[in-house]
Amino acid sequence: MTARRAPGVSVRVLARILARVFVGVLAGSVACASARASDDAALSIADQATAVPEEARDWRFYAEGALRESTRRATGAVVHGERLSFDLRYDKAIAPGWRVVFADRLDMNRYYGGAGDGNVNTLKEAYLSWQAQPDRIADLGRINVRNGVATGYNPTDYFKAGAVRSVSSLDPASLRENRLGSAMLRGQALWEGGSVSALYSPKLADRPNPGAYNLDLGSTNRRDRWLVSVSQQVGALNPQVLLSGGEGQSAQLGLNLTGLLNDATVAFAEWSGGRSRSLLTQALAGADDTAFRNRVAAGLTYTTPWNLTLTAEVDYNGAGLEKDAWNALRSGSLAAYGRYRTFVTPLQDPATRHSLFFYATWTDALMKHLDLSAMVRRDAADASRLQWIEVRYHWTRVDLALQAQVNSGHPTSNFGAATDRRLTQVVLRYFF
Amino acid sequence: MHARIREVPALIALVALASLSALAWLPGEALAAPTAQAILTASDAVRNPDKPFSLTVTLIEYRNARQTDGNTLNVYSKAEAAGGQFRSLIRFAAPVRDMNKLMLKNGNDLWFFDPSSKASIRLSPQQRLLGQAANGDVVTVNLARDYRAELAGEETIQDGDRQPRKCHKLVLAGIASDVTYHRIEMWIDVATSRPVKAKFYTESGQLLKTAYYRRYQPQLGAERPTEAVIIDGLDPNWVTVMRYSDYAYRDIPEAWLQRDYLPRFRPE
Repeated sequence: MTARRAPGVSVRVLARILARVFVGVLAGSVACASARASDDAALSIADQATAVPEEARDWRFYAEGALRESTRRATGAVVHGERLSFDLRYDKAIAPGWRVVFADRLDMNRYYGGAGDGNVNTLKEAYLSWQAQPDRIADLGRINVRNGVATGYNPTDYFKAGAVRSVSSLDPASLRENRLGSAMLRGQALWEGGSVSALYSPKLADRPNPGAYNLDLGSTNRRDRWLVSVSQQVGALNPQVLLSGGEGQSAQLGLNLTGLLNDATVAFAEWSGGRSRSLLTQALAGADDTAFRNRVAAGLTYTTPWNLTLTAEVDYNGAGLEKDAWNALRSGSLAAYGRYRTFVTPLQDPATRHSLFFYATWTDALMKHLDLSAMVRRDAADASRLQWIEVRYHWTRVDLALQAQVNSGHPTSNFGAATDRRLTQVVLRYFF
Repeated sequence: MHARIREVPALIALVALASLSALAWLPGEALAAPTAQAILTASDAVRNPDKPFSLTVTLIEYRNARQTDGNTLNVYSKAEAAGGQFRSLIRFAAPVRDMNKLMLKNGNDLWFFDPSSKASIRLSPQQRLLGQAANGDVVTVNLARDYRAELAGEETIQDGDRQPRKCHKLVLAGIASDVTYHRIEMWIDVATSRPVKAKFYTESGQLLKTAYYRRYQPQLGAERPTEAVIIDGLDPNWVTVMRYSDYAYRDIPEAWLQRDYLPRFRPE
């Protein structure tokens, strides 16, 4: 029986195998034909591609209009505002080895009944650069020197204090871009894998000048300052060491480090340390409490396969207030609290000692040319939060963005004390 | 074309090419078939000029036959003296919103610089700035440095001009840990060593993209491809055309190929 069945089974098995082979071959042929057809179609598209290379220009100029609505924390009143901005950047080689850089922004704010109403011009940069040799360069003029590898807080960004004249967005990238440079003389020497840079920024004015079109050197050049930075590639770490000092301050040492953990993750750490007074005694002219204080920002940036980039950062400001001292200040004299906040805000330093920062950006999210960005800052001392989100669609010359910002927390907390509880704005930008 | 690739010094490439040419004149009995690695090296030499150079890359992206994006990049490349790895500086020339932004690529060391914010930001290889194209797709690479090639036979395939072309089929496996693609199938013209077609795969074997190299023209002393057509592995209606123009030899000082030079970079 077995002997009789065996051939029958074998025939059926053989027939099945043949059928599968046939179907497999047929499927393979169909797949090959399909792949070839799609390749042919792609090549036909490429045959008809007509775009020609574009030349980069020496200048970039855009106009930006914004409509905004905010809700006041104190009264719940809804306030409307408009802004029209013009932003120019010009960077041109005027002769072999010589280069001129000019960057300026004009914000025309109309915040009915709100602070910040009026025109504010920000001369971001205006300097002359001389490249005596390919690896020897000198600059003179107003320069936006920006150091630091972190995203939310940059302890080694020694020239950020007082540099922001007009805030059009709380996006850290916007705050870094739309600010005053400092007037200085700078020299740089480079070699393979490293460089050294030294600058001197003199005192040129006694106090800030809020005039709409004033150069406002008092915000950036109120005292003599200097900075030396050295970089040398060591493996994949790219360390940068900085030493900063000036009139009325002890030298501050800084370090920037970045490393690649894997194909998708970058680790970064930024540290600055030196003897200084606490922010509180500086703000309130208190007793000298000079001590060695550290400032640190460290975190990770991870990118998913679909190009969503996530950054998480831990920030520490050794000159800021600890939780107990912060709570004491908040519950004490309102005048002292106000003076502290007024002093700290332009420094772009965290008011308290510990905070967290998260940032996410997703380019071509869900559809081509649609970018989503979101940011959360959280103060560890009072659990207050700043939340910001942006949806941006861009065409060839036009960007359209919707931004929303929510400040949560107690009215005297770090972020909860902001004038506006909520703010939304629509921004339209046109590149000429 | 693909990232994190180290280049054989030009001299070695030329020697390899010369050796292949010399072998062609030997009697059949004495002729040893070129090794897969030699074929790949010869193919690299077709794509890559032998001295520091610059070129313009125009990317045109299509979805469902409709143009959805366009970029123009100026690329400056130089091979490392030790190891021969290519380093590249990429300047965005268009669109206008990205104009004069820079990317520095030195193996897996990737930096992005925005002249407006003066921020030099370190990127991971997975972070793409150019849509379908990986950052490594737009720069010069030398596959023979980072991949071990095996000959999988000869095949006559349709080339980028829809003509039959007799090719060596090579299967490339990444040697270095920092390669963009884990496995590549590559078809190289038997007669000219020109790269004709390549398929790029993930570690799990998924097809990422197919590329055709075409429009060969004389550039910097050799016939080189002036166009690559990239077809997405999952969505064949997603097509990127990369055109190469303005080839020129350039003096690129070593000091320029580092993060700290990015704020200084200005093409002549």
